Amino acid sequence: MGVVITEGFTEPARELSRVAAIVGVGESDYAKDYRAGRQKEATYVAPDGLSLAAVAFERALADSGLGRDDIDGVNACFMYGGPAPREVAEALGIRPRYAVAKGNIMDHVIPPAVVALAEGRCDTIALVYAAAPRASQRVYGGATYGDEGATPVSYYYFTPWGWSSQAAHWAFIFQHYMNTFGATEADLGSVAMTLRRHAGRNENAIMRARLTIDDYLTSRYIVRPLRLFDICLVNNGAVCLIMRRTGMTTDLPHVPVEVAGWGHARTGPAKMHQLVRERLRLHFAEAGRQAFEMAGLARSDVGHFQGYDASSIHLVEQLEGYGFAEAGTGLEFCKDGQMDLGGALPTNTSGGLLSEAYMHGWNHVVEAVRQLRHEAGGRQVDDVTTSLFSMATTESAHPLLFTRGG
Amino acid sequence: MPERRPNRFLGGVHDEFWQFCNRGELRLQRCTGCSSFAWPPVTRCAHCGGDELDWRRVAGTGELVSWATFEHRYHWEIPLPWDTILVELDEGPLFVSNPVGFTRDEMTPAMPVEVEFIECEDDAGAFRLPVFRKHAR
Repeated sequence: MGVVITEGFTEPARELSRVAAIVGVGESDYAKDYRAGRQKEATYVAPDGLSLAAVAFERALADSGLGRDDIDGVNACFMYGGPAPREVAEALGIRPRYAVAKGNIMDHVIPPAVVALAEGRCDTIALVYAAAPRASQRVYGGATYGDEGATPVSYYYFTPWGWSSQAAHWAFIFQHYMNTFGATEADLGSVAMTLRRHAGRNENAIMRARLTIDDYLTSRYIVRPLRLFDICLVNNGAVCLIMRRTGMTTDLPHVPVEVAGWGHARTGPAKMHQLVRERLRLHFAEAGRQAFEMAGLARSDVGHFQGYDASSIHLVEQLEGYGFAEAGTGLEFCKDGQMDLGGALPTNTSGGLLSEAYMHGWNHVVEAVRQLRHEAGGRQVDDVTTSLFSMATTESAHPLLFTRGG
Repeated sequence: MPERRPNRFLGGVHDEFWQFCNRGELRLQRCTGCSSFAWPPVTRCAHCGGDELDWRRVAGTGELVSWATFEHRYHWEIPLPWDTILVELDEGPLFVSNPVGFTRDEMTPAMPVEVEFIECEDDAGAFRLPVFRKHAR
């Protein structure tokens, strides 16, 4: 019972460490598109997933310094459904010999790409992600069922009790956290405030205005004890990552960012207990152990952290779960400035899902790449060489370790 | 008047749970092989894979583990603010429910509660919903 190693997941293995690298990144204009959508001008039509994906792809291609003909692999990761991979390839003007549509959120997307590159199924792969919830009128929570078909995810099951949405899990978790450790709602506000400060240094972030503790404490509750600023944004956007085998990354314009290690763990039965009482500590610990072992690195090597902040408290769970802070001390760690630039572990330095954009972890990877290239401008973490990205849902943990290539 | 609630998830083993509720019985599946409880209902034990599951009547008493109050509308049937609770049943499983006769202001960790069934309805018709009142023990 407890930690389940995911079936069908690409097993972490030493021989797969640093065999592939990210050589190009591109993003759509999160902030500009968000404002255009909010202005609701009569003539405005929200871009669909494919057109957003094309923007991100062109930028990633230009960033990589490669030619269109160099791209011989593609994985089309469209949230909420999208065109088939061959159609995506055609729209992007590429002729891949390896074309798949396996994935959506940044969960188990990079490991299979590393394997495809390692096995020579392609030499250079474009991982293309797009999400257009605002264009498709997507609603989170409420009386809609998940994409999985017959078996509803837990929050749909409890609708007769009026219990709905991912946020409700985190509300239970934070209430239990306060009961257990004596933390307060104001303590939690430090997480949203920290990430907002980071977003202030990122021109593509959607929410950049300074957030004070008064702003936080006077904002409305969504699911008490969680407020508006504790829950991620919702926006349309796209991200593209271009990856190559590390033997092919010399003479490119940017320092390659190598995929050094990964891990994965899922909740088993008794998910509510693991979530609310244990805050997935065993899952983060186990998945983190796998990733560090594969990479030949230790926690103390990590100079930058990008954690999946669908909710503020969820980010705290990860800090504690991977051991960067002791259980119950994550909010003190944040209040002390340890997640800031210059702190012990600069965290979500582009603003994360809370203040930059809700790109399901893809934007987190882009920021890790920029940091490791030392191209993050005013938010650069000094001399960073190892970044830990952590994908984390209410039922899974998937850390990825990235290192600055030679 | 029955309370209008968002729709239950029905069919197969799910119907069995609600049929017991309609009789005023809180019953959860328990694996005959490994004795683990399952909630929500399953067709196969998630612990050992066994497919023999009994509907075991539980005492209906437990303690508060956590709580959350909806102030954002996800369901038109639900008036705001709306209290929800996470109860650890004496037999072990955690059960998401609602408080009856008390609100979040009175909630404390490990507060004892006991089940009560209230009359509700959804698109599939009338049903009895297990909720929890304070329990002096």
